Amino acid sequence: MSDTASSQPQIGPRSFVLRAEERGHTLVRSQGPQSSYLAGHPEGFLTRESSFNFHEYQGGRPGFGPMRVFGDETFHGAGCGYNMHRHHNFIICAFVLQGELTHINTAGSRGMVDQLRQGDFYVFSAGSGGKHCELNVGQEELNVIYIWFLPSQLYLPPSFHRGFFDFRNRRNRIEQIVGEADGALPIPNDIRVSRLAADAGGKHVYKPSSPLHGTYVFVIDGGLRCGDTLLGRRDSSGVWGVDEIQCETVADATDALFVEVAMKDDEVVKNWERAHPGR
Amino acid sequence: MALDAFERTSLPLKRLICLGCGFSYDEALGLPAHGLAPGTRWEDLPDDWVCPDCGTPKSGFEMVVIGYAAGGADLAQHA
Repeated sequence: MSDTASSQPQIGPRSFVLRAEERGHTLVRSQGPQSSYLAGHPEGFLTRESSFNFHEYQGGRPGFGPMRVFGDETFHGAGCGYNMHRHHNFIICAFVLQGELTHINTAGSRGMVDQLRQGDFYVFSAGSGGKHCELNVGQEELNVIYIWFLPSQLYLPPSFHRGFFDFRNRRNRIEQIVGEADGALPIPNDIRVSRLAADAGGKHVYKPSSPLHGTYVFVIDGGLRCGDTLLGRRDSSGVWGVDEIQCETVADATDALFVEVAMKDDEVVKNWERAHPGR
Repeated sequence: MALDAFERTSLPLKRLICLGCGFSYDEALGLPAHGLAPGTRWEDLPDDWVCPDCGTPKSGFEMVVIGYAAGGADLAQHA
């Protein structure tokens, strides 16, 4: 990881780069006491690449704005997943990249059983309390990006929304899919998630709402030059204090997420940066 | 370090959130169902206290400055 500045100006270009292999790696098996948490006993296992500190992995950044979890997770084998468990307050987003996610959620008066495939995504605001279960019931491996955000208010009424990102019809432009915008899923905080599915050689500009908003760019596939930084598959960069981010796709079938957050709640992250100069 | 009586009453009351699941602990509210009276300081919870929902240790909680939605404080106290 590298950082462009060691002081803490609120405004002024700041950024960090997190390479794919620098993320925290966790492997959880559905064995022993963990089998109540992880489904698929005895052979089910899950791998998680964490961009920020989460559970066992505590070797990186605590988060980015109100984002606390960015997990690139693979559910190995049919039956693998998370058993029914409770959440409060966190806004949990899931983006299915490969395979099929069977998602059971207690939100609403009757709850729901939902199946999501490539391009499908959901926003689950746990608010005052909700339970969910996430399973891979197919033979194919299931790869999902999970993002957790702190909400703008605690103990909101729980909500669940799902959407679909159409790779064919929403191509070669940065499309907002979460946060206030036409057709985007609602989210109870100052957060926007956009996605770019593009061919090589395209130039794209991402404009955050203000320089006080940070943008976490994560390359799902392909390659993206972000300013002067070349990001490969599963590399990422956090950028803030800028009016816009100039991007160029350097590979066909490039697929990237742009997660925009307000940086004003960033005290924990700033404390971490003070303690880890140069990262 | 233990707080003296003056520090106890003058420090603002904290609100913390479990980074494992989102459960919250609010010093002003306590968690009466878990034997923690309103006003119980985070520092006074035992070191081996864990999140009642997911088992995350105290070190996995983060202090937050986020207000409650309407009726939220009551829900937090009885979560």
